[in-house]
Amino acid sequence: MTESTIAEAIASGEMPGRVWIYSNYHCNLACSYCLTESSPRSERRELTAEQMLTIAIEAKSLGFTGIGVTGGEPMLLPWLPETVAAMAAHLPVILLTNGTLLGGDRFERAAPLAHPDIAVQISLDSHQPDLNDMARGPDNFDKVVAVVPRLIVSGVRVRIATTTAGPLDSPTLDPLRALVRSLGVRDEDHIVRPIVRRGRADERDLGVVAVARNIPSELTIAADGAFWGSFGPTVRAGRLDTDLLLTRTILPLSIPASTLLATLRGLPEGADASLGIR
Amino acid sequence: MSRTQLLDADQAPITAQPYFADGDPGPIVAALATVPELLGPTLNFVGAALGPGSVTTRAKELAILRTSVLQGCRYCIHAHTAVALDVGLSTDEIRALRGDIALEDAFPEVSEQTLIGWIDALAGATGAVPDDVWIAARAHWPEHALVELTVTVGATMLLNRLATGLDLPTSDQVTARLRTEGFV
Repeated sequence: MTESTIAEAIASGEMPGRVWIYSNYHCNLACSYCLTESSPRSERRELTAEQMLTIAIEAKSLGFTGIGVTGGEPMLLPWLPETVAAMAAHLPVILLTNGTLLGGDRFERAAPLAHPDIAVQISLDSHQPDLNDMARGPDNFDKVVAVVPRLIVSGVRVRIATTTAGPLDSPTLDPLRALVRSLGVRDEDHIVRPIVRRGRADERDLGVVAVARNIPSELTIAADGAFWGSFGPTVRAGRLDTDLLLTRTILPLSIPASTLLATLRGLPEGADASLGIR
Repeated sequence: MSRTQLLDADQAPITAQPYFADGDPGPIVAALATVPELLGPTLNFVGAALGPGSVTTRAKELAILRTSVLQGCRYCIHAHTAVALDVGLSTDEIRALRGDIALEDAFPEVSEQTLIGWIDALAGATGAVPDDVWIAARAHWPEHALVELTVTVGATMLLNRLATGLDLPTSDQVTARLRTEGFV
């Protein structure tokens, strides 16, 4: 499969344009529904800064249109903000973070993220601090609500992601929507998504059951390999899930990209993201 | 107990799932599936090298079993003792290939003796194959057949190292068959 075939597939919408990167698996939090069982004690499974930049460069040459960076908590990596800024010179980047490592004296770490092609996506699950913190950890609500306006004022584009076990359009989310709006985040930058029953969520019987055809087929790169979708490289009972593994080879990116496209072309008609997972 | 995780159908990578569609595909596929980009190419190569070709199934199976014995691969000796029985090798022939009785007694045909000599030189030694072994084999086998059987020996050695290095378990089905035939 040639590189132009991949580019044509992306341009036509046959293959999604975003590449997700799991920069690392460890996290300062241990959320109840975490797909990767991340915690401070998790195996790190880090990519290097050089690998991440190479992925961005090769992704652009293959015709991809954007990069997403997730973890774990990416901001645990000291070099992450500068690397994301370097990646954004090639493709727009969405950085997923819990936002709790940008408070107080550490706020200056966010400076490289004030970039027209970078969006920082921070999780906030409830307008009620106790409910939010039950899933995400002590003081999480206060830290997020404090840092989001500071980021916006400093020129960082902020998106909020809400992960819910309930209906995505539930009126019970209205107070949260209002809170997010009051923090300075536009409605179109507030993402509401279901808990996906993988990783820790599966062990706790949380969320929606998802198979490949439910999961957006965005190419996803982690230290363990390349996967079908950002919900692919999950961890359950300490062991990596391999059901959505495409290749162990991550670079050159054309190898997993070709495999993803070939796999997509082998799927039955009607494959879509009907569960609203994103 | 295998040294590596043997994937089941639930954990089979999306590109490897066709190999699991008809049930347990066996330890070699279950191990290779952990590196899915190698699974298809490896099985295609091994299938071509060990499967039907221009030489007889008997000659190929003789090469596979003898190579596995020389390489000391418990998994492959077990599996291909059963296959050798299926393709018509006698119990004495199999015992001879396994080193239990004299080869000359079980294989009186000179052509097969020269073939075993070629296999032994390939899989049982390192370095150059002696000229006299090649000349003896060429007297009974066309050049293309020896090329094909050399690839069969090489592919078998790949499987030998895979199964031995990862300590793949003999399947219960094969063990039961060998017990019935008196090989274990």
